[in-house]
Amino acid sequence: MLSPTLDRIIGSRRRRARRHVLVVAILLVFVIVIFVLTLSLGQSFTRPGDVVRVLLGENVPGASFAVGQLRLPRAVLAMLAGLSFGLGGAAFQIMLRNPLASPDIIGISWGASAAAVFAIVVLSLKGSIVSIFAVGGGMGIALLVYALSSRNGAAGTRLILVGIGVSAMLESFIAYILSQAPAWTLQEAVRWLTGSVNGAQLGQALPLLMAFAVFGALLLSRTRDLEALRLGDDTAAALGIDVARTRIMIIVTAVGMIATATAVTGPIAFVAFLSGPIAARIVGNRGSLLIPSALIGATLVLSGDYVGQFLLPSRYPVGVVTGALGAPYLMFLIVRANRTGSSL
Amino acid sequence: MTVHSLTASQLSVGYGDTEILHELDLAVPPGKVTVIVGANACGKSTLLRAMSRLLPPHRGHVLLDGKSIHRTPPRELARTLGLLPQSPIAPEGITVADLVSRGRHPHLSLFSRWTRKDDEAVDDALAATKTSDLAERPVDELSGGQRQRVWIAMALAQQTEILLLDEPTTFLDISHQVEVLDLLTDLNHSRGTTVVMVLHDLNLAARYADHLVAMADGRIHVSGTAENVLTEENVRRVFGLESRIIADPTSGRPIMLPISRHRMVMKQDLKESRP
Ligand SMILES: Nc1ncnc2c1ncn2[C@@H]1O[C@H](COP(=O)(O)OP(=O)(O)OP(=O)(O)O)[C@@H](O)[C@H]1O
Ligand SMILES: [Mg+2]
Repeated sequence: MLSPTLDRIIGSRRRRARRHVLVVAILLVFVIVIFVLTLSLGQSFTRPGDVVRVLLGENVPGASFAVGQLRLPRAVLAMLAGLSFGLGGAAFQIMLRNPLASPDIIGISWGASAAAVFAIVVLSLKGSIVSIFAVGGGMGIALLVYALSSRNGAAGTRLILVGIGVSAMLESFIAYILSQAPAWTLQEAVRWLTGSVNGAQLGQALPLLMAFAVFGALLLSRTRDLEALRLGDDTAAALGIDVARTRIMIIVTAVGMIATATAVTGPIAFVAFLSGPIAARIVGNRGSLLIPSALIGATLVLSGDYVGQFLLPSRYPVGVVTGALGAPYLMFLIVRANRTGSSL
Repeated sequence: MTVHSLTASQLSVGYGDTEILHELDLAVPPGKVTVIVGANACGKSTLLRAMSRLLPPHRGHVLLDGKSIHRTPPRELARTLGLLPQSPIAPEGITVADLVSRGRHPHLSLFSRWTRKDDEAVDDALAATKTSDLAERPVDELSGGQRQRVWIAMALAQQTEILLLDEPTTFLDISHQVEVLDLLTDLNHSRGTTVVMVLHDLNLAARYADHLVAMADGRIHVSGTAENVLTEENVRRVFGLESRIIADPTSGRPIMLPISRHRMVMKQDLKESRP
């Protein structure tokens, strides 16, 4: 027998699920469109048809170099970094129930960046070993911040304050190492302090893609547990979640993908921080924010890089553009958090 | 329905180095309603959290059917033992039906899909708590009492045979308090659910408890029937309050009347003022 309320409950649950799928699909199309646009728009215009032909491996005179050598590596890197920052950032914000708890605010991206700079400048290392350093640095800082702030298991505000302090220290550490480097250029400094995809090469994309695939899959397999954590640690535990273990799992996977991305592009400013809240505005409460946040992250980096290259009076790296977007939001959140509690 | 036994033996629990519960023993009577009372900060919430695997014991055990709950996989435990914490958090904008459906979490696994049975459990829980009409509303927009009933609905949707509730009647007006306690009693009678709850109102506690437990300073001061536990002597020892106990004319259970320093009417005056 179908009671009228049961009918209604089933109906509205299905409706919500359908809308969620629709929103994700729209965001996905949006990312693909921006991706193709950034491949066809540049100093010169390449017709989308030619772009597709280059992507399929054809040699198109006048387009192959610009699209295949210049724009494609850049767009691929921007997209992968954006996906990683968006997904990893939202996982942290949801897990700690606070938009300020994103890895770029609480020092984790800075840890990865500092370790990468140290490996490159001081140890003269190159390639994927730098990624390993970055992951180690990000993980180390995550543990440090967690340990410093988790007296009696209470995370929250203290974790954010400790994280902001650690961020500031790491930022000056990076600036110091760069200033001691023999051939330090402004471009290098900008990459490691705000993030950039200048000089991207397709070869750099492989570790990023692998990290995103592996860590992303692990993280997404915990979607339901993360959703339950939003009800508070006690409720989540009462619902059968091993809170401590789930936390560690999420920290490791999110830091893994964010640090790998940071090792290549630097800590592209505020993308991890902004993606989740923007996704929350768009998705509302229809479903998990993880995949939408990843897609928003990709959108932010792809479009931010395009704006920085072509739409401003002079060329800026993507981190400067996203930084200009994120800073006012950060101020808004801090002002608001002073008045009310904040949640994602 | 199988009846599960939940016991704490020589249980010491705390936060960091501070010990809150000291070698506490408690046997929850299966299929009965147990009510825990005690002053603020005496460790009632800590006890419920320790009994539902949220806090690891420093010493001693919590046993479900003779097996330590810390050796039971959390998801499996959560299908038998539910807990409604004192201050759960509702995500911004979440709807009532969505929140209540979170109670199904332990019944779902990574690959299992949401089934009709889950929808029915949600529907049942909403109906039992009279919140069906609120199903589509955002939880943020509800009154404190409505919200409390929705949280109880979530715990009901979990369909556990033992249900621990930490102050389920806070924020409720007196008629809704009685309604919630009646609801939990119904659940106990009709499904045999073992209910353990913390209440602050001693008279309601005495009215609804099959087994009344009075805690003080991380220990169980006294436990047993309401008549044995709610005495003037025990109220003085547990709450530091002078009181009179009389019998409730409707339920026969004891009622506690606090004696305050003000507005006292002398015994003689009382007699004189009678018509
Ligand atoms: N997360 C925590 N970290 C550290 N100490 C805690 C924590 N939670 C509770 N305590 C302390 O443990 C003691 C017992 O707290 P508990 O919450 O169990 O009391 P309670 O009996 O439920 O009180 P109330 O009636 O106010 O809810 C208190 O002194 C409290 O300060
Ligand atoms: Mg309490």
